[in-house]
Amino acid sequence: MLILSRKLGECIVIDGRIHVTVMRVEGEVVKLGIAAPSEVPVHRKEVYEEIQRSNQQALVKQSALLPKLAGSLPKLKAATPP
Amino acid sequence: MKCAEMLELETPAIVRRDPVRMPNGLLGFEKIKNYVLTTNPDEHPFAWLQVQDDTALAFVVIDPFLALLDYQPDIPQADVEFLKLKQADDALLLGIVTIHDEHRATVNLKGPIVINRHTHVGKQVIITNAAAYSVTHALPVAETAD
Repeated sequence: MLILSRKLGECIVIDGRIHVTVMRVEGEVVKLGIAAPSEVPVHRKEVYEEIQRSNQQALVKQSALLPKLAGSLPKLKAATPP
Repeated sequence: MKCAEMLELETPAIVRRDPVRMPNGLLGFEKIKNYVLTTNPDEHPFAWLQVQDDTALAFVVIDPFLALLDYQPDIPQADVEFLKLKQADDALLLGIVTIHDEHRATVNLKGPIVINRHTHVGKQVIITNAAAYSVTHALPVAETAD
């Protein structure tokens, strides 16, 4: 892993098109400004991990529960968002 | 190249099985790339995304717009290009459902599966506005279900 030291307001450039700037440092929190082309997805790592865990939890062996559960959702189409 | 069958999640009259290829797999299941989307009239509005090589392994999926009427997922441009989506109608969205027990099921609205209806190529995308949605959005299962 490449480790760089940066001061407040300094920037690193990745691939000539992604700019990461140290915007603010408050105790243990570092605020980063990320400027990247729209086709570059930028997400917090926790989001990936959260979806990964959710997928692992969702994987099922075929179950007989589904028709029953489907039967209990007759009004789903009429459901209103919270 | 176009497949003969255009993917739909409408109430099917018969059991329908369509191959879906996800070149990147799903997050946490990167090596599993080939799936079969199975819809059964008895199980509507749910469908199965079965692992092609082991159909006993599967994910339950649902049209995420049924789970949340005003769901407005913002698909990253890179994914739109990867899936070769030319218009909104080209995309079929699936929300992965977690069944906790027979009274509680949730759907992942942060990372829907987006499938090109014509090519049957899909990808689990992290929507740009993921922060606005939950990975465990509760489905309105009736209290009296039993």
